[in-house]
Amino acid sequence: MSSETATVQKTSANPKPSLMAEGLDKAFMSGKIRVQVLQSLGISIYPGELTLVAGPSGCGKSTLMSLLSGLQRPDAGHVYALGQDISHLDRRELERFRLLNTGFVFQGFNLFPALTATEQVQLPLGYMGVDDKRSADRAMRALEEVGMVHRANMRPAELSGGERQRVAIARAIVKEPPLLFADEPTSALDAENGQRVIDILHRIAGTHGATVLCVSHDPRLIRHADRVLEMEDGAIRSDRRSGTHDSQGVCA
Amino acid sequence: MIALARKTLVYEWRRFVPAVLAVGFSGLLLAVQAALVLGIFGSAALYVTASSADLWAGYPGTQSVNFGRAIDPGVEMRLRLDPEIAAVEPYLWVDGEWSAGSVSSGSVSIYLSGISTRPDALMFAQVLPTALRDRLREPGAVIVDPVDLDTLSVEVGGRAWINSHAVHVVAVVPGLRGLGGVNVLASLDTARQIGGADAAAGSTYYVARTVGTGRAEAVRARLMAGRGSMGPVEFWTAPEFAQRSQWYWLLDTGAGVAVLFMALIVCLVGAVITSQSLASVVANSAREYAMLNALGASRWALARVVVEQSFWIGGLGLLLALLASSGLLLIAAAYHVPVAMTLLVALGCVLLVACLVLCSGLVAVRGLMRADPTLLLR
Repeated sequence: MSSETATVQKTSANPKPSLMAEGLDKAFMSGKIRVQVLQSLGISIYPGELTLVAGPSGCGKSTLMSLLSGLQRPDAGHVYALGQDISHLDRRELERFRLLNTGFVFQGFNLFPALTATEQVQLPLGYMGVDDKRSADRAMRALEEVGMVHRANMRPAELSGGERQRVAIARAIVKEPPLLFADEPTSALDAENGQRVIDILHRIAGTHGATVLCVSHDPRLIRHADRVLEMEDGAIRSDRRSGTHDSQGVCA
Repeated sequence: MIALARKTLVYEWRRFVPAVLAVGFSGLLLAVQAALVLGIFGSAALYVTASSADLWAGYPGTQSVNFGRAIDPGVEMRLRLDPEIAAVEPYLWVDGEWSAGSVSSGSVSIYLSGISTRPDALMFAQVLPTALRDRLREPGAVIVDPVDLDTLSVEVGGRAWINSHAVHVVAVVPGLRGLGGVNVLASLDTARQIGGADAAAGSTYYVARTVGTGRAEAVRARLMAGRGSMGPVEFWTAPEFAQRSQWYWLLDTGAGVAVLFMALIVCLVGAVITSQSLASVVANSAREYAMLNALGASRWALARVVVEQSFWIGGLGLLLALLASSGLLLIAAAYHVPVAMTLLVALGCVLLVACLVLCSGLVAVRGLMRADPTLLLR
C-alpha cells in the first residue's frame, strides 16, 4: 500500500483541492475483532464538480465520506477541508465546522413529521442564528432550486419519496455550504426521481462551485459524475473523469 | 427559530399522551396523599388548631395532645400572674369508653375533652359556637361530630354511657373528627365526673392567650426559665405543640412513614413512565436528530428540544393534576373524608412533579446523546 495522495489533476482553472486526505487509517471493532476499513488512504477532491465514490458494499466508501465530512475522526492521518485540518478537532469544533461548511443528503430522508417542507429547510438556519424572516426567504429559494415551491407547506406524509428527497436536498443546500455530501441519495428513488436528484446535485456543483462528494453504486450516478473513484477493500482502485479512462492517480 | 419541540408535540400528540397522563396521575396521587396526610394527621392537632389559645402548658415531654398527663394546679396561678397573659383556662383530657344502648353493650374508644363553658372560652373556639358551648353546662351533656353519630350508635338527644357514666348528646358540630378515637366535648365538670379520682384534681393542660400578638414565644421562654418553682410542666406555643402532635403521628407511629414511602413510589413510577414515554419519542426521531447533528446542530441544542418537550409535558400534566385533584378533593370534602390542603404543600407537590419531569427529560436526553450521525450512512 502506498500513502501517496491521488494525483489526478483538476483540469479547471482552480486546481486547489477543497478536500484532501493524507494517510487515513480507520478501523472498527466487530465484536472482539478489529476490522481495518481504511489504511494509509490519500485523496484530493476538487470544488465545482460532482465526485462519485463507487464500490461494493463494505469497501469503505461511506467511512471515507464520514472522515472527509467531519462526522468521524480518523485513527491516523489528516483530513484537510477548505484548507483546515479537521482530523483532530474535538466534537464541538467538528459540529461547528459542519454547521458552517457542510450539507448532507442521506438515503433516508430523515425529515421531521411535524414540520412543513419550508420549516424543514429553515431548521438548520436557526442553529446558525439566522432570524425567521430571512430563513424563510432562504428556504423558499432553496425549495425553488429543487422545484418544490409548490409543495412548500406540505408535511412529509403528504409528499412522495422523490419529493421528500428534494426537500432533504434543499435542507442541505440552504446554508449554501461549500461542501455537500450525499450518501446513496438515489437508492430509494424510482428512475424519474433519481434522475431529477442527480441533475440537482450536478447543477449545485456546477452553478454554486460547491464540492459535491457522492457515495453510491447507482449506475445512473456513475454516468453523470464528473469524476468517479472506484473503491475496493478500503483502497481506491481507479480514478477517472467523465469522458476519460484515466486512472493515473490511484492511491493507497 | 423553528419551534421544533412544540410543533412535534402538537402534531404527534398521541405519542405524548402517556407521558402527560403519567405526570398528571403522579401529581394527582401526590396531591391527594398530601391532602389526606394533612387532613388525617392534622386532626391530631385539632385541639390546638381549633382553639384560640396561643400558649399551652402540659406534662413535660408530651409528644401528642392525646398523651397528656395531669399537671400541678399551681401552674394556672403562675400563668395568671404573668402580665402578658390575658386569659387562662384548664383543659381536661379523659380517655373513655363509649357505650350506646346499655352499659354492657359494645364500646368505642373516645377522647373526652373537658372544656370551659364560658362564652369567651379558648378551647375549640374556632368550631364551637357560644350557644352550643352554653348547652354543655347541663350535667352529662356532650357534643360530637355529626359524622361520628353512626360510630357512636347514637342520635342527637340520645343517651349513652362513658366509663359507665350516663351522658346525652345535646348537639353536633362539624370539625371534631379526630385521629385514633372519637372526640367528645363536655364541660369541665362533666369530664371530671367521668374521669373520676384521677381527673378530680388539677388538669391535663392549661391553655392561655397572651396579650397582643406575636408575644407567645417570648412568654413561653420566660415561663420555661421560671418553671423551677412549679411541679413538672412544659410550655409550648400553639403552633409548636400542634406540630409536635402532628409529627408524632406522622413519623413516630409508622403510619406517616408508610404514606411518605407511597409518595416516593408514586414519584418513581411517574418518573419511569414519563422518561420511558419521552425516550420512546426521542428514539422514534433519533435519525432526524442525528441528521440535524450531522448538519452541525450541537447535541446541547438538540437536548434543549427534548427538555423543552418535557417542560410542556410537565405543564400539561400539572394542569391535568390540578383539575383532577381539585375535583377529587372537593368530592372527598363533601363526603366528610378528612382532607386539607395548604398553598405551601400544593407548591411542594408542584415542585416534586417538576423535578420528576426534569429528571425524566434528562434521562431521555441520554438517549439523544447516542444519536450518532454516522448511523445514517449506508
